[in-house]
Parts: sequence; structure tokens; C-alpha cells
Amino acid sequence: MIPVEFPRRLATLLLRFAIWIAPHDTHDWGHGMLSELNHVEGNWSAFLWSLGGAGVLAKRAILAVILPGSHRRTVSSASELFAKELPVRKTMLAVIASCVAASLLFFLVPVFRQAFQVSLAQWHDVFHAKLSFGYPTRDLELDALAKKAEQNRDAEALAFAAVRYPNAIQRERLANEAVHLDPNLTWLYAVAGTAYLSPSEIDRRVSVLKQWDPGNALPHLFAAQKIGATVTYSKEFPLGKLEENPAWEKEMDAAFQSPKLDNYLDRQKQLDHRVLSRYRLDDPFQAVSGEDWYGFPNYGVGECSLYARLLLESGKSLESRGDRKAAFEKYWVVARFGQMMGDGAGFIFIMRKNMKEAYTRLGALSQMEGNNGAAAFYAALADQFDKAADKQRLLFRNRFQGSDVSHWNAFLVRLSGLLMLFCAALLLLCALGIVVRSRPFRLSSLHPSRLTLALGFSAAIGALISSAVLFVSYWPYSELLQRFLSKGDDAQLFELSAFLRDTQLPFGSQFNLGPGSWYVASWSVVFYFWFAVTILCALALLVAVFRHFQTRPRTSAAA
Amino acid sequence: MKTPRLSPQTLRVLERFIERPTAWRYGYELSRETGLKSGTLYPILMRLAKYSLLETKWVTTEDGVPPRHTYRLTPNGIELVRATFANSRVGLKVRRPAFSGGRA
Repeated sequence: MIPVEFPRRLATLLLRFAIWIAPHDTHDWGHGMLSELNHVEGNWSAFLWSLGGAGVLAKRAILAVILPGSHRRTVSSASELFAKELPVRKTMLAVIASCVAASLLFFLVPVFRQAFQVSLAQWHDVFHAKLSFGYPTRDLELDALAKKAEQNRDAEALAFAAVRYPNAIQRERLANEAVHLDPNLTWLYAVAGTAYLSPSEIDRRVSVLKQWDPGNALPHLFAAQKIGATVTYSKEFPLGKLEENPAWEKEMDAAFQSPKLDNYLDRQKQLDHRVLSRYRLDDPFQAVSGEDWYGFPNYGVGECSLYARLLLESGKSLESRGDRKAAFEKYWVVARFGQMMGDGAGFIFIMRKNMKEAYTRLGALSQMEGNNGAAAFYAALADQFDKAADKQRLLFRNRFQGSDVSHWNAFLVRLSGLLMLFCAALLLLCALGIVVRSRPFRLSSLHPSRLTLALGFSAAIGALISSAVLFVSYWPYSELLQRFLSKGDDAQLFELSAFLRDTQLPFGSQFNLGPGSWYVASWSVVFYFWFAVTILCALALLVAVFRHFQTRPRTSAAA
Repeated sequence: MKTPRLSPQTLRVLERFIERPTAWRYGYELSRETGLKSGTLYPILMRLAKYSLLETKWVTTEDGVPPRHTYRLTPNGIELVRATFANSRVGLKVRRPAFSGGRA
């Protein structure tokens, strides 16, 4: 509970501080407001009185900085006044120096340096707005790694870079070189996907994959995806008629008949861990760059759903014609392929409805055949689908949208990073102001004004607090990263991934698909940022011109 | 002589001063009478003092209570205010209620 006298005490403190920073010619007025405070009725009224008065004095103080000629000191000797305040100023300077030193000491801690780099990620879009629209930017660390890997003929490092490289041509070259050096890395062709590749290169990779891992459905799915991408929109096969393409049907049939479906993402994670450890890379963005898609299929998802639907319709048709055995086969192929996809994202977003229907039909057919045990089993599987799907959906929402904790921590990291830069800039401005004002420069003549001292003090305290907040907010995520780098433990890597995804948004923008979600595009924040910078630059120019004309020596009329 | 911009708030303050031209007034007293907050009142007083239309003085009221800053119009200030109110009748305009149907 707030003590009754608290607002009045706060009001007194506020007004005293405002008088302290105010230019000398307004001190009488400030003390006048302060003396009136004793007569203001009501504690909160006194606080409001003080707030208004402090605002007036602060405005004068700022104007005195911009237009120094308009508020000249009336005391005879500035050095005399300084001598009286020497202990206060010395204490404040000591506090400022301590805070700045403590903030700089944070940089000695590697985790803090990493946290600071993460907090700078929000500026990427601000300074690379043109490049971010579909054109990934260069990554110097990745460039260096790729160069080193090529020199050392390190196939794993080349594969690591190939998956992450922003340039498609370079990515293709690095992947081919990695597989050439180590054919055991052929799975890299599957992880890298088919995006940005020429049809002939896709064909070549599919052929290599089919030979390297003959039992896997994945190469067939890639081949079908390529046919879908190149044929669907042609005149011969208009949209929606993909199923009439025999080549596509052949590849899909081979995929659904394959004994296994391996998307090699586990291998990729293991390789990531090995390369990160070997090259001592501790960039969290590189560590989690594949995390967003771990668990999601890297093949054509629409094709699987379409072919499963075709099989189900074909099964129903066979069923109506009385061929239960053939119908059973069709339903079973769909159910088996769904099982191969596992209970991940593919199950939820692609095959859930088809699988439920397949199990329902299998149950019905078993019932017709008089196999009540099998019928009950399939019916139970079909019933469990909705519950299982809801549970998985919730898990995936947390995984890919991030928890509230990660959103908050990312917000704190962005805010504290921003405050650190702001406070550092303010401190620099104060230091520059002091040096410029005491021309010719002499160390003994450096006497900061009260306002400069107050601003410097606030900035130093702000820098220290924001450094501490940045460190504390990032600490848990550095632990997650270290756990992955040292032990290969990726259990919570998705949390780090969600956190890092948020930290890359410019402050003020938000991309959240949770309940009550809202969206502020980063490009609009970037626009407002540069708009504000332009306006501030124009204002600064105006003030500079105004000051120039105000302070330039005037020639006499006689001259 | 240069004069400050006479905003409606400034006129309201001047009206209070002109009622008792020779009396010294306190800041809080003026604030209550004019209904202006400290953040509005003091810039007006400071501007009037800058143009030498207002004089200030510290007065001790009672023992143990800090002295108070008091204000009153200078002879120049009284002359200007009287001339302003007499010529333009702005004082009456300011007092007129917002929705008086055209009548003062």
C-alpha cells in the first residue's frame, strides 16, 4: 500500500531534480513552484502540480542545450558554483564510470556477446529491407566455413553449408561436391529438396537417390513432385488433372508401395551437431536453421493427399462392384503409407482424414467378412484419430509458434538490446557535447552541465540495467544451445528456434498465430523507422542552421 | 515596447492581476482562480516577466514555512492590460460562456 505522504514526497523530489537540471535563470521560478507545493491541497494534486512545473523546467533545460545563448548564467563565476557542487558531481561521475565499466565487463562473458549479437538480429530487416524480399542475404560466417571446407575437402562441412547457403547455384555446387567426396552423404540431395533446381538436375538427383536407397519412397515422391510442378499447369494437363498423368501415377504408386519412408532429417541433425562441434560454431542461428522444418515433410505434400484420395475412391468403386479383396488392398495401402509417415506433421496436415477413412472402410469390410475382432480393432484405430490429432496439433502449435515464455524473452532481448544501443548513443553524445563545449580541449576544463550529467547518469544506469536484462533473458537459451552442441541433445531445440525467430523481428512488429493473434508487418516498422530518422535529421539540420545564424559574429553597421 | 502573445490563457491571468493591480499574488492562488495547471501558468508568468510586464518578489509568510514567490503587474504591465482590454474588449469575450447564444 502506498503511504499517504508518498506522492507529495515524490513531487518534492521531482521538482528539486527539475530545478537542478534547469538553466540558472529559471531557478527562481523553480523554487517558486517548490514553495507553492507546501500550500497545494491534496497529495496527488501536489504531485500533479510538481509534474507540470517539472515539465516546464525540463523544457527550458532542453532548449538551453539546443539554444545556449538564450539562457545565460547569471552567476559571476562558474568555477565558484562548480566548486560548491563538486562532491555531487564527483559522485555522479563515479557512478557513471562504474556503470559503464560494469556494462563493458559483461562483454567479457561469451554468452553475453552471443546475446548481444542475437539482439542485433532485429536490425537486419531495417538495413537490408531491399534484399529480404525473397533474396536471402550473404552470411559471412557461412562463407568462411564453406571456403574452409573446400580447402580441407571436408564433405560434412560442405554438406552443412550446402543446406544453409542462400545462393541456389552455390548450394547446388556445394551439395554435389560433398556427395562426390563422400557418397554416404547422398541423402543430402533429399534434405536439400528440389527448390530452385533445374528439372534435369532433379532427375539426376532422383536417379542417384533411387540407386543409393532403393527401398525408400522419398525419391519417388520427389519425382512425382517434379512432374506435378512441371506438368500440372500445362495445357495438356490442366489444374486438377494431375491424376491423369501416367508418369505421376507410376511414381506415386511406387512411393506408396515402398517398404519405408525416410526423410533423412535425423541424419541431418547428427551431421549438424558434428560440424558445429568440430568447427566450434556457436552461432545459434546456424544451429537451428533446419529446426523449423524438422518433422515437416520435405517432399510434395499435396501429391500424397491426392493419391491417397484416389486410392480410397478406387477402393469404394471396387467395393460397390463386390470386389472386397481388391478394395481392402487399396484401403490398406493408404493406411500403411500413413503409418510410415509417422505421427508428425505429415500425419496431422496431410493424411489424417484419409487414414481415418481408410481405417473406417477396413473396419466395415472386416465386419462384412465376419471378422469381428479385426473390425473392432480398425474401428478403435479410427476413433482414436481425432484425439491423437488434437494432441499432436497442440504439440506442433507450441513447437512452431513458440511458448509465451519464449515470446516474452525474445521481447526482452530485443528491448534490452535496443536500450543498450540508445544508452550508448546518449553517453557518446554527452561526452561529445562536453568536449565540444570546452574548446579548446583541456582535460581540466571539462565541466559537464547539470543536464548533461543527468542524461549521462540515466544513460549509464539504463545501459547497466539493460545489459543485465539481456544477459538474464538469453541465459536459458544459451544453455539449450550448449546442450545441443556438447551432447547433441536436441529435445528443446525447437524452443530456441521459436525464440530466435521472434528476435529477428524489428521491434514493434509481431508475427504471432496464437489465440487473439495479431500481425504487424516488419516492413511497416522499417518504413516508420526510416521516416522518423529522416524527420529527426531534418530537425537537426534546422537547429544547426538556426544556431549558426544565432551565434555567428555580427558585423557592425559602420564596418 | 515588445509585448507577449496574448493567448486566451494569458488574458485569463491578466484579468486576475488587473482586478487588484497593486496586490502581490501567489502562483497556487492564481492557478486556482484561473483554473490553469502549473505547466500552463508558469510559462505565462515567465513570459510576462521577460517582457517586464510582471515583477516578482520573495515574501516570508510565517515562521517555519519557506518564503513564497509572489507576482504583480509592473506599471507597464498595468498600462498594457488596461489598453488591451479597453480597445478590443477581449476580456469580455474571454468571460463569455461557450454556448451563450451570442449574449455576453
